[in-house]
Amino acid sequence: MDFDAIVIGGGHAGIEAGLALARLSYRTLFITQNVDTIGKLSCNPAVGGLSKGNIVREVDALGGEMANLIDSTMIQFRMLNKSRGPAVQAPRAQADKFAYNQLAKWTLERQDNLQLFQDTVTDFILNSRGNKIEGVITERGRRFTANAVVLTTGTFLEGMIFIGDYTSVSGRIGEPAALGLGVNLRKMGFSVGRLKTGTPARVRKGSLDFSKMERQDGDGEIIPFSFSRDNVERPQLPCHITYTNEKTHQVIRDNIGRSPLFGGKISGKGPRYCPSIEDKVVRFPDKLRHQVFVEPEGLESEEMYLNGISSSLPEDVQEAFLKTLPGLEKVEVIRPGYAVEYDFIDPRQLKPYLMTKKIEGLFVAGQTNGTSGYEEAACQGLMAGINASLYLAGRGPFVLGRTEAYTGVLIDDLVTLGTEEPYRMFTSRAEHRLSLRHDTADRRLMPKSKEIGLLRNEAWEKFQEKLSRTDEVRELLRQRRVTESEIKTVDGALYTVLKKHIGKTYEQTIKDPDVTIETFRDFDDVIDRTSKEWLSLVELDIKYEGYIDRQERQVKRFEKMEKMKIPENFNYDTVDGISTESRQKFKAVMPATIGQATRISGVRNSDIAVLMIYLGRKK
Amino acid sequence: MKYYEYDTDDMIAALATPWGESALAVIRTSGDGCIEALSPCFRGKDNLSGSDGYSLHFGRIIDPGTGNTVDQVVAGVYRKPKSYTGQDMVEIFCHGSMPGITGILDALRNTGFRDAAPGEFTLRAFLNGKMDLTGAEAVNEIIRAKSPQAMGLALERLSGSVFNSINSIKALVSGILAEIELQLDYAEDEADPEAVLSTGKIETAISGLKELASTYRIGKVIQEGVRAVLTGRTNAGKSSLFNLLNRAERAIVSEYHGTTRDYIESLLVISGIPVKLYDTAGIRVSDHPVEAEGIKKSGEIIEASDIIIYLVDGCDGLTAEDRKRIDLFDRKKLIKVWNKSDISTKEIPEDYIAVSSLTGSGLDDLEKEIVSRAGAENIMLDDRAVIDSQRQKTLIDSALLSLENSLSAIRGSMPLDVVAVDIKEALDSLGEITGEITTADILDLMFSRFCVGK
Repeated sequence: MDFDAIVIGGGHAGIEAGLALARLSYRTLFITQNVDTIGKLSCNPAVGGLSKGNIVREVDALGGEMANLIDSTMIQFRMLNKSRGPAVQAPRAQADKFAYNQLAKWTLERQDNLQLFQDTVTDFILNSRGNKIEGVITERGRRFTANAVVLTTGTFLEGMIFIGDYTSVSGRIGEPAALGLGVNLRKMGFSVGRLKTGTPARVRKGSLDFSKMERQDGDGEIIPFSFSRDNVERPQLPCHITYTNEKTHQVIRDNIGRSPLFGGKISGKGPRYCPSIEDKVVRFPDKLRHQVFVEPEGLESEEMYLNGISSSLPEDVQEAFLKTLPGLEKVEVIRPGYAVEYDFIDPRQLKPYLMTKKIEGLFVAGQTNGTSGYEEAACQGLMAGINASLYLAGRGPFVLGRTEAYTGVLIDDLVTLGTEEPYRMFTSRAEHRLSLRHDTADRRLMPKSKEIGLLRNEAWEKFQEKLSRTDEVRELLRQRRVTESEIKTVDGALYTVLKKHIGKTYEQTIKDPDVTIETFRDFDDVIDRTSKEWLSLVELDIKYEGYIDRQERQVKRFEKMEKMKIPENFNYDTVDGISTESRQKFKAVMPATIGQATRISGVRNSDIAVLMIYLGRKK
Repeated sequence: MKYYEYDTDDMIAALATPWGESALAVIRTSGDGCIEALSPCFRGKDNLSGSDGYSLHFGRIIDPGTGNTVDQVVAGVYRKPKSYTGQDMVEIFCHGSMPGITGILDALRNTGFRDAAPGEFTLRAFLNGKMDLTGAEAVNEIIRAKSPQAMGLALERLSGSVFNSINSIKALVSGILAEIELQLDYAEDEADPEAVLSTGKIETAISGLKELASTYRIGKVIQEGVRAVLTGRTNAGKSSLFNLLNRAERAIVSEYHGTTRDYIESLLVISGIPVKLYDTAGIRVSDHPVEAEGIKKSGEIIEASDIIIYLVDGCDGLTAEDRKRIDLFDRKKLIKVWNKSDISTKEIPEDYIAVSSLTGSGLDDLEKEIVSRAGAENIMLDDRAVIDSQRQKTLIDSALLSLENSLSAIRGSMPLDVVAVDIKEALDSLGEITGEITTADILDLMFSRFCVGK
């Protein structure tokens, strides 16, 4: 074999897959159509967001790269949803997309065991029985052999972009699609579908009048995505907000017939959670305005991204409606918005560790599996890379549970339910989101990554230090009690609050919504020496203990079902009493556990019971 | 789908004997740690938690919430794997009185037991290899219990209007959850400003559920009994009939307040339904202050009763006064009885039940009518029906509790993500009655009702 593993595609999934394999000492070939577009932020120039920020931190805890990339290149940081509870807070950062892309490429270039190569893969090499991967064939006719292949082609698989009547066979505007591979996947018997997504116009900063918009600054305090960092020192740029109005909507309504989306040219299903502006106007006619965020794309760039207003209307219509927006009257469009339609592989054809059921050694990750978003792609890429390495080593797979990580929820949803629109993570997809806070990702996942051997030593040491310090603080809070003398120096309102708690432990006192852990800094040296982030972790653990306990109990029950394994090649035809409908669904998904079986949509309770009885009898 | 329906070793409890009045009843519990969990509810010479398998213990069941004694019982302890299910088990032999059984089951719920689903003990026995049935038989039982058909049967027992109102409350609660989830899944500046959580909607759902819970006839009948009142002109034979009913049925409590000038009440059980029976002062215009007070009191009791049994003196026939009185009563509550039928020479009108409190003839008919008016006729048809209904009542109650928790969480300034936990729990409970709401349903609601996303 030429290599141990081959990674196809240089997007966010490919980066993580390639780095994981190489860092685990597997000789890896990294093939991409254009090495200059590695790690490109094709759509919004931002990383993180609700539940996505948690995923970035999970990727970091598992030994991935995304957190480091964004920490190094961010140009604005915000902690979202601070007011709505600890479980749904999440970090988001605007990225300097050029710096991000540059750093991603450089990181791969510097990685040992990783060879970058520019070409387009068009076909696979299989063993004689056609059920095991042996390598790839490229457009230029090169053949490379390897025992594991990770496919992460994003929107490039038979990609087609649309702007009004204009269409082009591309994955991104100006970049040719990857042709042939989709056809060959179909030939190999994979069920392949079409999805659609869209992006808004990029416009010239100098043509905008920011005085007519609201300014939105980042947070003063930056919490790094990576657990290995103490702080981030980066220049911060503001975003701006403007709104569409009745005139905008009129232009769109008048030209709706010229939309490829409404004209029926696009058959792929788009994301409901991120609709194009023409979609918003048509579906919500009562809304008088829609928000538009004007976001900088980089420190050394005049390009601005118009978030919230993606469109595939003809360019003249896009320009016309953009000019109706306050501050955009003289807008100069640098790149128009467009829709892109692409092939995705029905992810129900994958095992929970992202290897295809049909072809041994072939792993698929990222947007190719029907997801949307850089973060969703990255965590899959990482999991696929890790599992490809375990496969090469002949070790058992690494699967995260729904109670352990958003990454686990995402992959379980994909392989169990499939998807009909580009799949984006939401906190509500997780049954136990209180246990999936972004600040606990290290606690949840680092021990696992350590065991796999992917976690860097410094990260592990820092985590150990954090554990022992936060344990120390927690113990201290349990021991120490509020006294009259120590609160004397506290000012008025807080004094009244604390006075109620004299004699109680600090821990009990922190459960009062009006008290924060920061209050106790002045009272104790150990607390005072502890970082704000670590204190906040302890605080959230205390404040929401009751709710977390309630969920933990549910988690335990949940895990029992997850532990009931179904044999890999279980023959559902041998079980009497299962309804035909459920039998077909079981056969299509081939669930790995009873837990997974219960989540297949439309499977009857009674059929699960029958299955359990059958499996129970066999042991 | 609710995964814990298949949890196979958590603690479950259910009445193993039919719902109804009997000398003894058996409540069966099973699951990991159930002996230890039950121990604090049990007061007796022995401590349950240390006891051997196959041992019997006499004692009292205490409600852990109130500390009150619920019933005197004998507890049978089984240690795994030597038990019916193959797990630790305790069987509680208690008195077969409805309030007692309900009290013990409540105490168990308060201790962390959940109500067993039909067939669940057998399922566990089977899974633990305790049951030497052919696979098909066991499978059959489970299917019968959990199939859509069984579900359908359970649903039919809810009247159409009750089903509809649960569904509309569920839709309301789903909407509330969608609003919350939207706030949780989109950043402050990204969410549709129209999606603002109003406690008013939660309150509406709560009052809807409360109303539902109160109209829930079977549950109410079993837990509280029905109030039936005997009334009629003086000397129509009310007291004789009262005594006869008390003799025929085993009266649980008989409290006699003064004379019949005031009223007499007793609690008896007819076909498993607790009936609080009142014998009131005869109705007539009276100048005597004590009797006048008694008559006034009778009026109040009649007002509060679920069933009014009006006695006509068969010897006198239907008098003008009888007609006048009967017209005053709510027809739905009224049972008309033609007493002294053994000596009455008059022709008995069709809508009257002929009874003789002297010979006891017609008593069966009267009892059947009382049960039917209690709205619980179907309890007798299928003993499982009551368990299902109990379950539904329990689920409505737990949905109520979750919603009330969510309100206090909101009032206590708890963040939205923990409020969502309560709302989701409420929805899960309602979902168990009429079918589950999935994450996908909530996302659908979010996207269809609100304009979201950058």
